Amino acid sequence: MVSPYRKAGRSLKVVIFVPLLALSLVVGCKTHERRLVTIRESFYSGDLQQAAKTLDEGTKRDRHDIDVLLLERSMVELAEGNPKQSEQILRQVRDRFDYLEQASLGETALAVLTDDTRKSYSGEDYEKVLIRAFLSLSNLMVDGQDAAAYALQVADKQTQIIEAAAGTQDAADGDAKNPKLAYKQVALGPYLHGLIREESHSNYDDAARASAMVVSWQPDFPYGQADLERAQRGRHSSPGNGVLYVFTLVGRGPYKEETVELPTTVSLLIADRILSATNKYSLPPTIAPVKVPKMVVPPNTVAHVGVSVDQQRVGTTETITDVGRMAVEQHEAVYPKIVADAVVRRIVKKGVVLGAKEALGANEATLSSVALDVVGIAWEATEAADTRCWGLLPDKIQVLRLELPAGQHQIGLQPLSQYNSSGPIEQQTVTILDGRNTYVLANFPDERLVGTVLTSQP
Amino acid sequence: MERRTFISTGMLTLAGCWLTGCRHNQYAKVMHPGDQEMVGSHQAGGETYKPLIDEAVSKLLGRHAAERQVGPNGLPPPPLRICFVAVENKSAEEIGDFKDQIYEQIDSRILESHVFQPISKRFVDAGLLQTRLRPDLLMVPENMRSFAATLEQQGQPFDYMLYATITSGTTHENKDYQRDYLLTMELVNIHDGQYDKQSATLSKGYFHSRLSRFGSTAH
Repeated sequence: MVSPYRKAGRSLKVVIFVPLLALSLVVGCKTHERRLVTIRESFYSGDLQQAAKTLDEGTKRDRHDIDVLLLERSMVELAEGNPKQSEQILRQVRDRFDYLEQASLGETALAVLTDDTRKSYSGEDYEKVLIRAFLSLSNLMVDGQDAAAYALQVADKQTQIIEAAAGTQDAADGDAKNPKLAYKQVALGPYLHGLIREESHSNYDDAARASAMVVSWQPDFPYGQADLERAQRGRHSSPGNGVLYVFTLVGRGPYKEETVELPTTVSLLIADRILSATNKYSLPPTIAPVKVPKMVVPPNTVAHVGVSVDQQRVGTTETITDVGRMAVEQHEAVYPKIVADAVVRRIVKKGVVLGAKEALGANEATLSSVALDVVGIAWEATEAADTRCWGLLPDKIQVLRLELPAGQHQIGLQPLSQYNSSGPIEQQTVTILDGRNTYVLANFPDERLVGTVLTSQP
Repeated sequence: MERRTFISTGMLTLAGCWLTGCRHNQYAKVMHPGDQEMVGSHQAGGETYKPLIDEAVSKLLGRHAAERQVGPNGLPPPPLRICFVAVENKSAEEIGDFKDQIYEQIDSRILESHVFQPISKRFVDAGLLQTRLRPDLLMVPENMRSFAATLEQQGQPFDYMLYATITSGTTHENKDYQRDYLLTMELVNIHDGQYDKQSATLSKGYFHSRLSRFGSTAH
């Protein structure tokens, strides 16, 4: 017969081992937030080689976060003028995210014992949608063969995300409680679909439908009404002319920072003190703050990009998708769930320690109770907020449509700030084809171009 | 809580998590003729468009085949040249990647019938590109002349223009709704303006739950 002391000792070992295992899993991991700072600094300073090197090292070392690092890699490839490679990477990540977004209860259980960083990253909802939008953009810069399919996937993915969230609600209160219904839709998807269909010269009805979506989803897009009007009654271009679409990625995009959810921390502390005072066994006090991710959008210095054709200023790019605003709004919509998950995690951890105390009969006066409280506090203190995100996205995606005579033209792009200052003009030669679209893509995180100006028809 | 209960419940929960919470890879299978096809749960799909195309095209071709009598020399008259301009979606739904497929299916069926001789879509697209005319404005006499002349220059004269239009009508019943899909094929003789029309319709019910669907079929 096993003595009660030996049994108690074994239980104590188990109870201490679980938090220590969790601790060992977390301690030593460099947070994505810190790694992203280095990558963003290199990228925004125009040192794409260094950014690529850091990312490649990260993907070799950290297989767990490989997908999110590959997203950054795709942006570096796009800026370097390699849209084909960018498309290839994005396609790979899109498929991985589709697989990873399925619930894994094993990972969920592990996340409850540790924190959300132990879950495989399946992308924020806006990232899943933007992957498809960037796939379409990248493909337009190569041959445009798959661009229409990718553009259709943008709207499809948005619908899937909202429907999946509705599926988790009770049928009775369905839509009323679906926070994802409040998501801002990405107008870039229908915009791209519309411009591709308009170029066919025989699908103006599709183009009109897509333009109507753009107007409805991004009402402040100043060219939306004109596009709709043209799709409903006009034509793609006059004979002898073609169309140039200038896409610009402006400003520094959103990223996540770790922050302390103070009201929740205080509430948990009060609750555990009340329970400890009224129960036989005490709970570990909530000394370690509850950490959650916060979405941050840095100030954007670039308001528009001025476009000139053959040394004549012809217009400015305007926002078709406000990535920063969308990221913040989506984060706000799911924030209560993030906090709720953090609270559940704390309750489970406190429950495990309480169970251990009960098993050992360790009431407040004993040394083992104090030891278990210390282990519990340390366990809770190891938690880190999940700050993984697609950190090289722009703040805004802007566009300008120009009808130009067929032939070669010299295009000038100049970032313009809100304070009337402007950056240097970047030149690019493009060829406009009769009745066809030509695309230009440039990256202006600040008042200086990063990488090269891409064009589908040099 | 008893220690044993606490530990066993915890272990069972964890085991359940590991066993039932696995992610699954996506699988696919080739659908053979006769296999039960999928039915679009939120909008029309192949189950809607295929029968619509079959019915509308068969009726249209059948009628014109019957009208075409053998000529005085005992030979059948040459097939009429037809320019299939576009598929227009005027329904309440996005048809996404189905549109081009609907065009191709109708075009292939017409070509196989030998009643009409359709012009290749590539010539039609080139004609629209060159003239910069919208398909919906080709009925304006001046536009029609210009478009016909352009295709004639390309060695593709035609006698008829064909439009396929998808429309829909929706009837709501609380949270469920019925949508009637109508595919209309409109054939216009460019020489005298006479036109022929053939429609096919299909109704589909959309239900917010399985129970609701069962209730609907029960009565």
